[in-house]
Parts: sequence; structure tokens; C-alpha cells
Amino acid sequence: MTGDAVKARNGCMVAYTGQMNFKKLSGGGNGLRGMVTRRLTGEQMEVMEVQGQGTCFFADRATEVNLVRLNGETLFVEADNLLCTEGSLQTGTSFTGLNGMASGTGLFTTKVDGHGWAALTSKGPAIILRVSQGQPLRVDPGAYVAHTGNLNRALKSGGGWTTLIGEGGGEAMQVEFTGEGLVYIQPSERLTFGGDV
Amino acid sequence: MSYPPQYPPQQPGYPQQQPGYPPQPGYGAPQQQYPAQPPQPGYGAPEGPQVHDAHSLPVNDNVNPYAFSVDLNGPYYLQKGKMIAYYGDVRFSGIGHGSIDRALGRNFNSPLHATDWVVAEGRGKLLLADRAFDLNSYDLENGNLTVRSGNLLAFEPTLALKQSIIPGFLTLIGTGKFVAASNGPVHFVEPPIRVDPQALVGWADCPAPCHHYDHGYMHGVLGGLRQLTGLGGASGEEHQFEFIGAGTVLIQSSETLMAERSVGLVHQEAGVPGGGYGVPQQQGHGQSQLPNVNVPGLGNLGDIGRRFGL
Repeated sequence: MTGDAVKARNGCMVAYTGQMNFKKLSGGGNGLRGMVTRRLTGEQMEVMEVQGQGTCFFADRATEVNLVRLNGETLFVEADNLLCTEGSLQTGTSFTGLNGMASGTGLFTTKVDGHGWAALTSKGPAIILRVSQGQPLRVDPGAYVAHTGNLNRALKSGGGWTTLIGEGGGEAMQVEFTGEGLVYIQPSERLTFGGDV
Repeated sequence: MSYPPQYPPQQPGYPQQQPGYPPQPGYGAPQQQYPAQPPQPGYGAPEGPQVHDAHSLPVNDNVNPYAFSVDLNGPYYLQKGKMIAYYGDVRFSGIGHGSIDRALGRNFNSPLHATDWVVAEGRGKLLLADRAFDLNSYDLENGNLTVRSGNLLAFEPTLALKQSIIPGFLTLIGTGKFVAASNGPVHFVEPPIRVDPQALVGWADCPAPCHHYDHGYMHGVLGGLRQLTGLGGASGEEHQFEFIGAGTVLIQSSETLMAERSVGLVHQEAGVPGGGYGVPQQQGHGQSQLPNVNVPGLGNLGDIGRRFGL
């Protein structure tokens, strides 16, 4: 880091060398409008801005850190899984609709766009799966971390009437991705409503 | 592409750790010896992490130490909630439903665990993972292997799943491949061995798993009180599982267990362990115990009555 800034989740700095300044950015770090949006959407993220000279180390609960390079694409990521981004990246929120609600990851998700590096956390190293035309991917909502590219998210239900009487297939909720892009999944499932059906 | 490279199965496993581990007849050596793996170079590195698609995913092999890819073609049994993603046309149905119900009678003989298992049918690539635990696939050749029920993720329908007599364990019998999880790499050791109960993952071909309590610690009235109260110093390692005879014992390198899920009780029947009441009480002997030692509210006082010979 040479004088430039990095946005990171509060409290995830573990060590640094050189000169660093830590500044809390209220409400997700994109101004008043962003703050209000985050407050309204519940996709809250405590963000700090780190600026200075030297090396700064970020980590969170010994989860794996995965780097994603963005060249003008948009990265959609759950706020829980975003560790830090380069200052050149914009963060915002995006509406995922009922899909997110039903899968237990919230109605909104965090959107990162611009040029630069973003770091994601995942429990276990993330697996990157490519989605292309005619090759849709279905992901367990609990294992979903992030996606990039031009992807459509749709909630699929694999459960029939047997799910209602408690004899379902256990994988009743899936998120289907179609289009072109990459999906990041973790080899673990966070607890979601959908994961329990 | 196969991330943990597939060594020939006859190669003795774990040369670093177990110099004298011979290939067990009837029990396929582990397919991955991934403690011998160097860390994947450039993983997550800027120059491009590995991107998988439906064709580049390994066939019935690990994607990384924590995720396993199944090339699905026909039915496959999975524990509920272990699927993280799939390509292709796959249906999941609960045990006891669907067109393959008849095959279940051959393969699935553990009614208590039926609600925890699903059948995946169809064609495609299926990714399995479990709490970022280490996954390994094993080949069983006309053998048997008993594994902690929470650690078994999936198995081929050529294997038959049965409840072990030991509650909380499942036994796989037959020929085929299965996937099991362990917290930390799994180690294969040969009996005679005593293992910590929390570190035990499973065992193959071992005829005599039993409890072992340190005698000095448990001896006498004082020992009983110490066991009951923890006073007088407890190292926490007084109780082990002991294995003797020919076979293989699988242990994990941590003591983290999956939270036990209530699966109900086995069919109540005299002589069945865990079946509500075990051995029928002998008349006379049961009466001669101290009247208050088995009062539920008091706890069993470390079976003190029996120590006095009552």
C-alpha cells in the first residue's frame, strides 16, 4: 500500500507495518444515500477506510480469504462475506427480491463494481464455478458466497408436497444461476431458513 | 485436474506417518493421501484461481480437500444438506419416495436415519461439502466399514447402509465408493489401539470395539466419587475406545464432532443396546440395590451401590 486507500470491514485488521490511518466510514462508506439505503435494506456493513504506507493484514475468524479481480464487472456478494476492497471499487446495495428472502440471505445483497481487487471470506476455500449458456448451475443458498458476470438468479424449489409433511429431499431450496458468469461457493453451509427444509 | 492426485490404490498409504501400514485385503486403501500434498500453488493467487465448469470438475474426486464432486449417473445416496451445488438435471427425493423405492430395501436398512438421507437421481455433476471439513472418498471392496453417522456424506447404491449395533454409528457393507468427512485429515491406524472417543471417525473389519477406562482412576469408592464429581484431578483422558484384532481404525486429527441429531430410539426389544431397556432386570438382584442409588433426581452416584457389593 503506498498512500492509497482500502475499504475494509471494521475490526478485521490483524496486523500492519508502516504508517496506517484507520477511519470509520459510517453506513457502508458511500455517503448519506448509501447509509440510508443500507439501514433500510438491512444489508449493513461496518466499514473502515485504511490509508497509509506499508502492509496491512486483514483476517476474519480464520476463514479463507479469496481475492477477486474486477475489471469493470460487478461483483454481487453477501455483506458477511466481503472482507475488504480497494479504494477504487464502489460498493452499493442491490435488490435480490424474493429469492434472497426465501433463501434466508436477506432481500438485498452488496454490489461491488469498478476496477481493482476485492477480498471475500469463505468457510473453506471458495470454489469457482463457471456458468455459461445451456449450462445452468444450481447452488445451495447456504453455500453461496458471491457471483460476477451477467447472471440471473432464480429460486428453484425442488420440494413437492412431501416437503410439507417433513419427508422432503432436504435440498428443497436452490438458487439457479443462468447466463454467463462465475459463481463462488464455499464448502460449508451457513444456517439459512432454506437449508433446513 | 484431479486435485488430490489419485495414487494407485495398492500403494501403502501414508508413508510419512505409518511406515508399516500394509494394504488391507478387502478394504481399499484411501484414494487420496492428501497430507502428502503440497499446498496448491497459486491458490487464490492473483494470476487466476481455478475456475471449474461442468466438464472440468473432477469425476468422483475431490475438488479441493473440502469439496467432493460426484459424476452423477443414476441414484446416489446423500445425507441431507450436504449438497452445495450441481450442474445438470438432478432430483432429490426423500428416502421412501420415488421410483427406486424397491431398491431401498437392498441398500438402506437403517430406518432411524431415513429422515437424514436423500436420494439424488439424474445426470450431472454434484458438489458435496460439509462445514468445511476434510472430505475423503474410500473404496470398499466386499468389505465392511463402520462410521460415525454424522461423518458419512454419501455412498453409492452398490453399498448397503445399516445401523450399527453401537448407537450413532452406521455400517456400510459391500463394494463401492463412499464419501466421509473428518475434521482435519483422517489417519489410518492398525489395532491394537486405544483412541479418544471424540477423535474416532470409524473402523473397518475390527471385530471388537469396546470401552476402556483407566483402571487406577476408576478403582474403588474414591475412584467412583472422582468420576462422579471430577474432584481429585481428571486429565480428561480416562476413557478411550479400544480396538483389537485385524482391521483399520480411522481417526481424525481434532476432537470436534458434529452436533448429535436425535434420530429416535431403536426398536424396543430386550437385548438390543439402546433399545430403551437393555437386559431384563434379574429378579432379586435388582431389589437388593440401595433404594436411593437409582433415584433419577439424585443421579446414579457413580453406581456406588455396586461398588459396595450391594
